[in-house]
Amino acid sequence: MTPLTRRQIMRAGLGAAALGLLSGCATPGTRTVNAAPVIPPAGGNVTIEYWSWLKDLQPVADIWNAANPNVQVKTVWIPSGNSGGYPKLYSALAAGGGPDLAQVEFGVIPSFMMVNGLVDLSRYGAAEFAGRYDKTLWNQVSYAGGVYGIPQDSGPMALFYQPAVLGKVGAAAPATWDEWAGVATELRKTKTYMDCFPLADASFFTALTSQAGARWFRAEEDGWVVNMTDDATMKVARFFDNAIDKDIVQTGFGAYSPGWFAAAGSGEIASLTSASWGDALIEGVQGAAGKWKVAKMPVWGSSGYGSSYLGGSTAAVLANSKHPREALEFAAWLTSSHAGVDAEIKNCGIGWSPSPGFIGTTRQKPSAFFSGQNYNEEIFAPAATEQNPQWSWWPSQQQSFNILSDGFRKKASGTTLVDSIAMAEQQIMTVFRNSGLNIRKESA
Amino acid sequence: MSATSQHTHPTPRVVPAAPRPTRTGRRRSGAVARAPWLLLTPFLALFALTFILPIIVAVISSFTKVTRRGLFGEAGITSSFAGFSNYAQALADGNFIASIGRMLLFGVVQVPVMIVLCTILALLLESASARWPGFFRAAFFLPYGVPGVIATILWSFLYVPGLSPLYSFASVFGLSPDFLGPNTVLWSIANIVTWSYTGYNMLIIIAQLKAIPGEVYEAAKVDGASPVRVAFSIQLPLIRPALVLTTIFSIIGTLQLFAEPQVLQSVSPAIDSQYTPNLSAYTTAFAYNDYNVAAAQAVLIALVAFILSFAFLAVTNRKSS
Repeated sequence: MTPLTRRQIMRAGLGAAALGLLSGCATPGTRTVNAAPVIPPAGGNVTIEYWSWLKDLQPVADIWNAANPNVQVKTVWIPSGNSGGYPKLYSALAAGGGPDLAQVEFGVIPSFMMVNGLVDLSRYGAAEFAGRYDKTLWNQVSYAGGVYGIPQDSGPMALFYQPAVLGKVGAAAPATWDEWAGVATELRKTKTYMDCFPLADASFFTALTSQAGARWFRAEEDGWVVNMTDDATMKVARFFDNAIDKDIVQTGFGAYSPGWFAAAGSGEIASLTSASWGDALIEGVQGAAGKWKVAKMPVWGSSGYGSSYLGGSTAAVLANSKHPREALEFAAWLTSSHAGVDAEIKNCGIGWSPSPGFIGTTRQKPSAFFSGQNYNEEIFAPAATEQNPQWSWWPSQQQSFNILSDGFRKKASGTTLVDSIAMAEQQIMTVFRNSGLNIRKESA
Repeated sequence: MSATSQHTHPTPRVVPAAPRPTRTGRRRSGAVARAPWLLLTPFLALFALTFILPIIVAVISSFTKVTRRGLFGEAGITSSFAGFSNYAQALADGNFIASIGRMLLFGVVQVPVMIVLCTILALLLESASARWPGFFRAAFFLPYGVPGVIATILWSFLYVPGLSPLYSFASVFGLSPDFLGPNTVLWSIANIVTWSYTGYNMLIIIAQLKAIPGEVYEAAKVDGASPVRVAFSIQLPLIRPALVLTTIFSIIGTLQLFAEPQVLQSVSPAIDSQYTPNLSAYTTAFAYNDYNVAAAQAVLIALVAFILSFAFLAVTNRKSS
């Protein structure tokens, strides 16, 4: 037998390496972490990594680190969710790595569950912390008997408005959406828009349907049940079809875009229905100090709820974490202890506290920017209690939102929102089936 | 092989011992044959690992399907061979097909505009009457040095109403443009791309212009040819290879458009998550976590790029023969 040449050895080596890589390249996210044995709490010192798009989170973690020498937390900044954070997390998960904790929005938890990316925290004692959190929010992290994230912040909605601009037509903050439409019509005569309707971002519309009492998705024994064409949703869709047709809402740009800041600064936008975290952004409008106030969110007549949640995120333990229990304990401290919430507000400008017992020290005081209004206690604290408790999120939420906004964009070419939602529902059902899930339309 | 070895190592004729030289000769020839492979190894290893292998994995992935049991797949997940179902799903996606159509429209307009523009710039800078050609060459090339993302951010500030001076300028003439609307934003992107790459393509053409021997120009001058005549009868035919090259690069670049629409998305509601084919594959893979359909989309994009490039080559070759 001839001895192997270097080239043959090299070839064999390359071939073996290629084979090894190929076999390692099964479609990512097809291994279940929650069927594996529970990882016991570590005895010695551990380091936990938290990937989040909150700015200056490390000083907050350092408060915990000082008190817990055994569990050191290191934070890593990532771009916010859909602008790059989720792709980064998904890729890390697909590669078998990733941090112990990650910031994941409520609506995206089911999507992470679909790739087996989250640890079921009920196996690590999440129940002992449940009492600290808002029930609606806890409901939004609980699926199929498990708990998949710890609520970190939320966004109860209200109406931010400029009294002087509304005063041009002698109006006060509208209490119902019908009044809102009336004020918007009057304002339009003075070349001012009441608000914008974001065609490119379905989360606003979704939050309003939730306020009106819709319940799009339900988990049943035999799979998902969808109902996006219920009365509540159709009422909201017809309302904005009408508003866009009459040109009383701005559709050229969405809230907090550069165009919006320019219009809000010059008084061409009178109000903004948005979440509690919008306060910091409104403070970024040029020369806005003293010009804005906060009122309750307009309601849908006698039905529906007083407010809705827009945005909000959780701290979720990712599948490849080596220390789920320690990560859970840190997440609970961060989001429900007085020290954690206050530090998060001070350093990170976090959204609404998920813990009803404590909204944060600075938020109990009147705000100079909002003309001395104590808006957090007056408006947002009650708003957080007037939520649709039945709302639950579903897998492929981002794709569903994209499908919805694709339909909304067609509004310009004559399709109504009402029609586009019915079509979107069909497409979303196809998405579910393509990813191998059972889904049926709500009967009756 | 043996011929080369004899050439490099001539054996003395007087020595009759045949087997030994052949043995050393064979060893030598082996070494000579091995040498290029050995030198190529670092390249080939990286090439296989980072280029060939990912392509193979993507193709395999595009034929794989994942099925789930339970509400989230918590009751079990299986991967299996899918046949062409991922391709069928990609092709049935109206938005994906629309994105390819959009890029074809974009290419049909933007590529010729850019090629004509860069050719004119190159001819002007290489003409005898050009002033400060070095300065202008650098100035035209400068936008290429600005990364696509930064270029888009710069331009977006000229596109956003309320921030851009262009709107107040246009209103002086009674115009009210909308750079970010559903029908116009594609051309706003085309403008950014043209701004970025015209200078780069111009340099390729200038390089070829510089390779035209001086005698040809002298002959033209003796014959009394005008500068326009020189451009059409001498320069343009002789820079044909550069024009073909830049056009093919531009066609491929058009299909791979990604950064500009991705960045402009934040100021233009008209750009959806599947605006271009690459954006579509990116969204499918990393936002929807459907790696298999994304792989199918990627293979389809590559196929379209191949077909377009070869079709263009075939057309230009037929013309020349």
